[in-house]
Amino acid sequence: MTSRPILLVEDNLDDVSLTLRALRKNHILNDVTVAHDGAEALEHLFNEDNAGRIPYGLVLLDLKLPKVDGMEVLHRIRADERTQITPVVILTSSRLEEDIVAGYSGGANAFVRKPVNFTEFTEAISTLGMFWLLVNEAIPERG
Amino acid sequence: MVRAPSEHSEASRPGTHLQFLAAIVVSASEDAIVGKTIDGLITSWNPGAERIFGYTEQEIIGQPTTVLCPPDLALEFTEILGRIRQGESVTQDETMRQHKDGTTFPASVTVSPIRSEDGTLIGTSSITRDITEQRKRADRLVEANRNLLEANKNLEAFTYSVSHDLRAPLRALSGFSEALLEDYGDVLDEQGQEYARRIRAASEQMATLIDDLLHLSRVARAELRLRSVDLGAEAARIAGELQNHDPDRNVNFVIQRPVRAHADRTLIRTVLENLLGNAWKFTSGRDEASIEFGTRPAGDAAICCYVRDNGAGFDPQYVDKLFTPFQRLHTVREFPGTGVGLASVRQIVERHGGRAWAEGSVSEGATFYFTLDAKEPQ
Repeated sequence: MTSRPILLVEDNLDDVSLTLRALRKNHILNDVTVAHDGAEALEHLFNEDNAGRIPYGLVLLDLKLPKVDGMEVLHRIRADERTQITPVVILTSSRLEEDIVAGYSGGANAFVRKPVNFTEFTEAISTLGMFWLLVNEAIPERG
Repeated sequence: MVRAPSEHSEASRPGTHLQFLAAIVVSASEDAIVGKTIDGLITSWNPGAERIFGYTEQEIIGQPTTVLCPPDLALEFTEILGRIRQGESVTQDETMRQHKDGTTFPASVTVSPIRSEDGTLIGTSSITRDITEQRKRADRLVEANRNLLEANKNLEAFTYSVSHDLRAPLRALSGFSEALLEDYGDVLDEQGQEYARRIRAASEQMATLIDDLLHLSRVARAELRLRSVDLGAEAARIAGELQNHDPDRNVNFVIQRPVRAHADRTLIRTVLENLLGNAWKFTSGRDEASIEFGTRPAGDAAICCYVRDNGAGFDPQYVDKLFTPFQRLHTVREFPGTGVGLASVRQIVERHGGRAWAEGSVSEGATFYFTLDAKEPQ
């Protein structure tokens, strides 16, 4: 596996399951780490093992999260020089939420409505120039 | 009981008609009207004063006015007396006074100088009103306002919760029924697949309903930003978008321009989007569809606009239901929609001081009118 893993920050287990399925269906075979709340996400991102660099190539971030909410996680990601340019895609649950967040969000690279919509997701990652980084059309290596 | 003030020597003579009338007014007043010497000794006392303060005339005449005042306000009295000596009238909209039984009550007080015919200051008169009830009403209003603000905040929280929490289970319904179709379609027979499709369609319909409901609640609460808008230009832009979205349809648009109105641009655009979108939708069965936007004489309002089409129309018997949320006159199979569009139209138009109504008949097309008469908030 050449490309870096994805961090999925999502507390709803149904949504986790549907998102993982959507990635698989999109031929995105990167490893996915799941964080179930904002605090866990920050722990994965900034723990001591990552002192030098951040291992994640993409963060998929839900907004309404237990403990630390998604906007706070986004601010922390943008405030840290190691993750300043890490692509962050916000997972929104409604048009309303998308409007609200788009209004004052600095730093999110794209929005994708849940459940991770194939078309939107594909558009988002091509806009981010990550298409070839993430999408692996080759037959996945097993084992 | 009518008595002329006793301390004025002129009043003891057979009074003029005018003095008699003045005495009646004082006597009948609900307010306490009290005469005092320049040193603050009480010289006259009307029935209103007896009612408000509890002292009878016999008890109070000759007493200093400070007995009517809570001890901690005695200084205020001295100050008022000073200003009266300068020839001023003093009004206090809200101060405290003291009843004979020692209780205090909120009062409004006006104190004015009394002068003799040659202009020398000979005393003061005060009018005191017990404003306990007024204060209670004001407090109730403040309380009601606080409750309203609280309710509004709860509504915001509720709106967010609806948009987020109610949609989560719908996503699971829609997502897993789709997964079922895609991943296990080959082991489901035609009927099984149809059931899964129905679950997916119903959950998506409910998601649309929630979005529309949220939109309606936002329309009701959004702040109005009024400015001059060309409704004709907006209508033309929306017509262009409809045409682009569905280039195969041949619809003749007739749009009056310019149509200047004082309105909130975003909200009024929602009105036009809904009305033109409906016209577009309900003319879909017409070979020669035509949609018109224009104005007509407005009567009392600033402007009256209409959107007319030659589409499916509606049964005028149900015209009252048109603008009610989630009421539809057609089945979803005939024409898609949730029934929120016209409810938003009415909501927005009414917020602009106007009204919305419709005329039409089955197969004869429909005309939707709205007036606008928005005023700048004070």
